[in-house]
Amino acid sequence: MPSGDRSFYLRISGLENLVFFGRLCGFNRPQAIRRAWECLKDVDLEEAAKRPVGLYSHGMQKRLSVARALLMDPAVLFVDEATHDLDPEGALRVQRLISASAERGTAVIWATQRLDEIPGFARSVTLLDRGRVRFAGSVPALMAISTVRRYLVQLRSDRARPDKLLSTAQVALGTMGTIEPSYGSAEAYYLVCLADEVALGDALASITASGIRILACREERSGIESAFLRLTGNDPQ
Amino acid sequence: MNRLADQETIARPSRSWAAVREDLAKIPAFFRRDLFVLWSYRVSFFSDWINLIVQVLLFYFLNRLIPPDRLPTYGGRQVSYIEWVTVALVVTTFMQVTLGHLLSTLRQEQLMGTLESLLVTPTAATTIQLGSVTYDLLYVPVRTTLFLVIMSVVFGVDFQLSGLVPTVAILAVFIPCMWGLGLMGAASVITVRRGSGVAGIAVTGLTLASGAYFPIEYLPAWLQELAQYNPIALALEGARQAMLADAGWSVIWPTILKLAPMAVVSLALGMAAFRLALEHERRRGTIGLY
Repeated sequence: MPSGDRSFYLRISGLENLVFFGRLCGFNRPQAIRRAWECLKDVDLEEAAKRPVGLYSHGMQKRLSVARALLMDPAVLFVDEATHDLDPEGALRVQRLISASAERGTAVIWATQRLDEIPGFARSVTLLDRGRVRFAGSVPALMAISTVRRYLVQLRSDRARPDKLLSTAQVALGTMGTIEPSYGSAEAYYLVCLADEVALGDALASITASGIRILACREERSGIESAFLRLTGNDPQ
Repeated sequence: MNRLADQETIARPSRSWAAVREDLAKIPAFFRRDLFVLWSYRVSFFSDWINLIVQVLLFYFLNRLIPPDRLPTYGGRQVSYIEWVTVALVVTTFMQVTLGHLLSTLRQEQLMGTLESLLVTPTAATTIQLGSVTYDLLYVPVRTTLFLVIMSVVFGVDFQLSGLVPTVAILAVFIPCMWGLGLMGAASVITVRRGSGVAGIAVTGLTLASGAYFPIEYLPAWLQELAQYNPIALALEGARQAMLADAGWSVIWPTILKLAPMAVVSLALGMAAFRLALEHERRRGTIGLY
């Protein structure tokens, strides 16, 4: 399944495109038509089947691409960055289609640069960096490599003045880490960088003890992203 | 490598005649695709015929300008310019299909991004090339027949009907010869992307030195010498002998015998070049580039 959507004849319908590629895959015409309809149904494109592909939205073309990939009910499916240019809803839809194919027994090799889509989707991960394998294993194993030390926290204080909040929090943290404004705004969000061996809970407890309320706390970047950067030697930490 | 094939719902290709037959069965799909695509551009159907009429009118007026005694005689008969050039238009039309159209189709597939999609299907590259020009290979004979009828009825062009079969025989060796050149051009399109320009220059040169639109005798002596090895010139002269002079097979055979080895060499080189170009691009992972 190619990454781009420039892989169909835009002047003819989705159905005709699938029948054509089905014929090239070895089906005779009646088989190709039957299979094309089945695949169009699978990707929810039945209603648009007879419209020229040029009139399809980007997401529809991508789903048509999935339908074409499924024509032969392949044993192995190579998917090249199928979601890189889709909105979250479209990306999720494509992922579900491919997952359904995988559940039916297809081995899916999914090439992506969108690391956030890997957890909960991929069974195993191979990380390539400049053509070299940097990691091969399960998703939890990949995430275990990351040592997240940077957290985005949302703070509020009823006692400390807003302009004193940062310095109060830093005093509370002491040698456990550093805190700095995030996203160029000192209003509510701060970036906490923990020193080695410091537990997140301890750091947060110290801040809370200084009278600052922690409204939210999350990793600055996902564990998988951190692992990726660490494995590729690009981890700023 | 698919489960449907494992269940024998569809036949599995093997390196055999059956595989070739199975691949050839895909050709109608290309025809249907091109028919639908072309029909979606309805104007192009009519513009082709308008172009043809304009071309005929152009040569008709040139015919009035050029005295027949400036042209060679065929079977002792003085032919008019329009008779003489009509044969060239017929032959070069087939050349355009096998050479020009093959290149432009490939380039178009490259630009549209469909080339990669075609090449990942279990279809031989030769089948893809043949399929890409099938529509034209079927359309052009119909168009040519109508063209010849119009020329006969409207302009009184006098063709020898008995020369049609020998002309078809000449085309049967000429087309593969041009096909080979087309494949070489296609190889350059795949590797250097804009290679059709280079192929176009070569074909224009060959056509210029072929006696298609003016007699070879007006060319410099060295080009006249080279024309003896120019497949377009050979095919043109053979077709003119057949259609204008009603020359017998004894005159036509030498042309066919000269063109046949050229066709074999051209096809072999073309297929090898195309295969190498594809392998090269596959290895580099750049088939999708344009």
